[in-house]
Amino acid sequence: MIAATRNYLRFLSRCGRIAFVGDWRYYVWMGVLTVIVLLGLNAYCKQIVHGLLVTGMSDEVSWGVYIANFTFLVGVAAAAVMMVIPVYIYKNEELHDLVIFGELLAVAAILMCLAFVTVDLGRPDRFWHLIPGLGQMNFPASMLSWDVIVLNGYLLLNVHICGYLLYSRYQGKKPAKWFYIPFVFIAIVWAISIHTVTAFLYVGLGGRPFWNSAIVGPRFLASAFTAGPALIILALQVVRRVTAVPIGSTPYSATGSTPVGMAIRRAATLKDLEVLAQHLPELAKVPLADQVACLVGSTVSEVERGEILLHQGGQDSEAYFVLKGRVVVKREESGRVRITRTAGPGEQFGEISALNGTPRMATAIAEEPSRVLRMPADSLRLLMRNKALNEIIHSRMTERLMITDRGLLILRGIVQVSMLINVFLLLNEIFKEFYSGNLHVASSHYLFLGLHGHSGLVGWIWTAIAFNLTAMVLLVLPVSRSLRWLNVACVLSIVGIWIEKGMGLVIPGFIPTPLGAILEYSPSLNETLVCFGIWAFGLLCYTIFLRMAVPILQGRLSKANESLPELEGDDGPIASPANRVRPTALQT
Amino acid sequence: METPLQPGSGSKGARTGIILGGLCIVFLGLVGLFLADVWGHPPAKQKIPLVDAKFLEPKPWRQSYADLVKAKEDLSDFDCYACHEKNKPPPIRYDAEHKIIVPKEHENIVMGHGSHDRNNLCYNCHNEANLLTLQTRDGRELKFDNSPPLCGSCHGPTYRDWEYGVHGRISGFWNKKLGEASRLACVNCHNPHAPRIPTREPAPGPHSLREAPAPRHPSQAAH
Amino acid sequence: MAAPNPFTGPDKTSDKAMTRRNFLRGSAAFSGLAALAASLSPLRELKDFSSTEEFLQKYYKELTPDDMTKVIQRIENQVERQYGVRPHVRDLRPMDGVEFVYCLNLTRCIGCRKCVHACVNENNQSRDPEIQYIRVLRLPHGSLDLEKAEHNYAPTQVPEKGYFYMPVQCQQCKNPPCVKVCPVNATWQEKDGITVIDYDWCIGCRYCEAACPYWARRFNFAKPSIPKERLNPNMAYLGNRPRRQGVMEKCHFCIQRTRAGRYPACLEVCPVGARKFGNILDPESEVSHIFREKRVFIQLKEEMGTSPRFFYYFEK
Repeated sequence: MIAATRNYLRFLSRCGRIAFVGDWRYYVWMGVLTVIVLLGLNAYCKQIVHGLLVTGMSDEVSWGVYIANFTFLVGVAAAAVMMVIPVYIYKNEELHDLVIFGELLAVAAILMCLAFVTVDLGRPDRFWHLIPGLGQMNFPASMLSWDVIVLNGYLLLNVHICGYLLYSRYQGKKPAKWFYIPFVFIAIVWAISIHTVTAFLYVGLGGRPFWNSAIVGPRFLASAFTAGPALIILALQVVRRVTAVPIGSTPYSATGSTPVGMAIRRAATLKDLEVLAQHLPELAKVPLADQVACLVGSTVSEVERGEILLHQGGQDSEAYFVLKGRVVVKREESGRVRITRTAGPGEQFGEISALNGTPRMATAIAEEPSRVLRMPADSLRLLMRNKALNEIIHSRMTERLMITDRGLLILRGIVQVSMLINVFLLLNEIFKEFYSGNLHVASSHYLFLGLHGHSGLVGWIWTAIAFNLTAMVLLVLPVSRSLRWLNVACVLSIVGIWIEKGMGLVIPGFIPTPLGAILEYSPSLNETLVCFGIWAFGLLCYTIFLRMAVPILQGRLSKANESLPELEGDDGPIASPANRVRPTALQT
Repeated sequence: METPLQPGSGSKGARTGIILGGLCIVFLGLVGLFLADVWGHPPAKQKIPLVDAKFLEPKPWRQSYADLVKAKEDLSDFDCYACHEKNKPPPIRYDAEHKIIVPKEHENIVMGHGSHDRNNLCYNCHNEANLLTLQTRDGRELKFDNSPPLCGSCHGPTYRDWEYGVHGRISGFWNKKLGEASRLACVNCHNPHAPRIPTREPAPGPHSLREAPAPRHPSQAAH
Repeated sequence: MAAPNPFTGPDKTSDKAMTRRNFLRGSAAFSGLAALAASLSPLRELKDFSSTEEFLQKYYKELTPDDMTKVIQRIENQVERQYGVRPHVRDLRPMDGVEFVYCLNLTRCIGCRKCVHACVNENNQSRDPEIQYIRVLRLPHGSLDLEKAEHNYAPTQVPEKGYFYMPVQCQQCKNPPCVKVCPVNATWQEKDGITVIDYDWCIGCRYCEAACPYWARRFNFAKPSIPKERLNPNMAYLGNRPRRQGVMEKCHFCIQRTRAGRYPACLEVCPVGARKFGNILDPESEVSHIFREKRVFIQLKEEMGTSPRFFYYFEK
């Protein structure tokens, strides 16, 4: 128990320390974000002192950009988890590791949501009034009390799932299915609920006819599932970029000069299998006859540090098991090289080509003097007739950090369909509001056409609609299968949906007031600084999460190398996300 | 094997150092900026003038005879026989269009009780036999300090509402067990000779938090 | 120092460079912390802190009579300190057999706005930023469409020809949407029909303000400013005691007057007697008479299902 706690604390401290380490671009990024966070914090302190008078809100328009951003980010948080559906329900392996990035984005987004709601409160010191048991919670009548519960619950769910998966990977242990799979399914349902509850905040107000409409809930979900995965598409490309190094910056590249097979090699024996079984206990369960049979054609090699065992693109199809030492597997893509996994004793590499017959997807290099067992594809298949071994090999197959273009295309599909639905729902809304000549359309009139000379939002909403329509067209056309156009469509979607869900939903609900008065709203400088501060805080959190998660997923930060020094940017300089991703045609 | 690039050495390492140094300077600059408190002050107060305290006094617009008596005011105006002869009711003169000619001694009275001058006869309310009293249509004599039944003799529904406290002002306690509620007399609000309530100046409109609304002339359409 | 790393070769870092980088990292961290401390500097101006007992004050419905005595004492002390006037704060409870109803005669209202200011005076509302519970609307004859309402009419004389005037304040709905949405139960309807707010429990989320179909609720965007000479010292806990920055407030039917049996201030000041208030359960009250005698009643936005306690009617 104590040892377990000590290990966990060690893990946390290593994760914490790694957040402060990086190359110069990392420091620029984190420095800029910190500056913005401090500006926002300072602005919020002024708000605490002077009251919400320093914002642009009034009794007429009593919710502003704080709640607008909150609404948008709840959608992002919900959608980030929806990526989980293809992986766990449709068993799509392309996205397996990427699920963690989605969930970490959900955590960062929820933290931002909670921050936005807190800065909007007139009396944040009275937050304890919301805690059931301590204070009063108007549950189930008040939708806001529902929101408090579901948002915090969602945060805990995702922190648990990510934390458990990352810690298991760190320990090199296979995560116990019952400890996270049920939570994943709960999180999927919960994701839909957080956004529906947030929609119901608005829908439930009969006094505001602009919001009191059944279409708000579905529109929320449709726009969330457009903007959320779009953000993830962009974030994954950034991660792909920053976790890779340009070719030539390290001495070992995929086209290294050491040919395969120069290492000392001999035929494999049962003794080697015994050694392997020490690290891979499932092997011991394989019947002896099968074990002997698989030795046919298998060899064991002693390799030096830096020797290349596999070449990316190669046509050979043997599977490898590490008996001693460590092998790192790196993939080259778009001129950059990234570590996809690290194999220690008992772990495999090269098995995908062995089982599927596809060309090598990566290059394997020994990180220290190692002994590897090389097995022909048939032998591996023979071994895998054993159920336990089959399971572990399959689960380890997905333990690699590979952000393939195919994974991004799956996400593109989600964005595409969601944007189509979103635009369709928008057309529904416009028809309903304007066709019948009903008098209760003042808010829509204000938003789309201006009302009695006030037209502050007209430019914004039509820009948002133009962005969304352009994005929709791009997403439908095959041209968005290229990363450059996909990124354009994603950016347009995110901005368009931010506008229409934030300002295009929250502000018109207040104009005109229920008594017919019109007072327009625009955020003050202070309010804007607080918003930027919170966004920067969210990006800061997400960057720190990734800074911890990526090395764990790559196997660079694990229990096994606890004694090694901290990573000093030695997996390659972490590129600034401000760099534009170079477009490439996607290889399937 | 090419020379490896080390963090902390070579050009990349120097760049990190420069960045860190730059960050220090930026942070210290922020310290100065925050302490100088340059932005984020609340907008200057609108300096909305307080409404006149007199505006809020619930005093009735007019004083009735009973009020004058209570206040021990000068009642000489009500001594009709100081000028008029007893048993000789003053004649009422009309012009060509049957508009009443108000004698110059009573020129402060402006007649306007009923449209189309239909209530132009003083003796509809005043008692010609005894100028110190009033009379109803059916001849009942009423003292000056009990004028409401006179109004009620024509304005029945309004009088009934007034009796219940529904027409006109009421003041005091809604819970009659805890205290009294007092009504005003008709003449406290209505000038008996020209009873239509005159127009008044309103208080200024509301001041919104974010913009000073422009006062509108009544001829401008709403919005 | 570091173990040999196969990707970056043998450690060639000079000790001097590492120390320099550690120093720079330390300085950046230290100046970052200094910037953090400086960013919090506006909090120095924060006066008027809640005391610990005020911070921990229980919900109104959970206060014992002893608690309430202490709370009232605290409020009276605070007001005296701030305004130099010792107020008299009471925790008035609803009377039995009483359900309030407000009737407003739209034929009579002349739009003078005396009710607005009498309310401001009676209930210690902030003058700047201006809070007014009552909003008088000017509507053209022939329509109750609130989108045609003018809030800022400023003629030299009222009433104006062709218009009628409708004062709107909290309708104390029987089915209040604001009560439904408050996440902390800071607002609720009492048994005599008044919807009240516990100002010391409200967290200022303004959900109730968004929910109200009558735009009746007001928020304290800043510290309320009440001129000392106009302070009304006759106060109630759920009524007109001075509020703080960051909480909601609204018309409460002058709870400090009505629960003592008096008429609300808006009714007392109305020069034409357009306002009528009383206990609908008492058949002898003015409001009962109105319900028996008058024909057409308007409840604003009746279709919302809020069942407001305000009944507008026309005489002719």
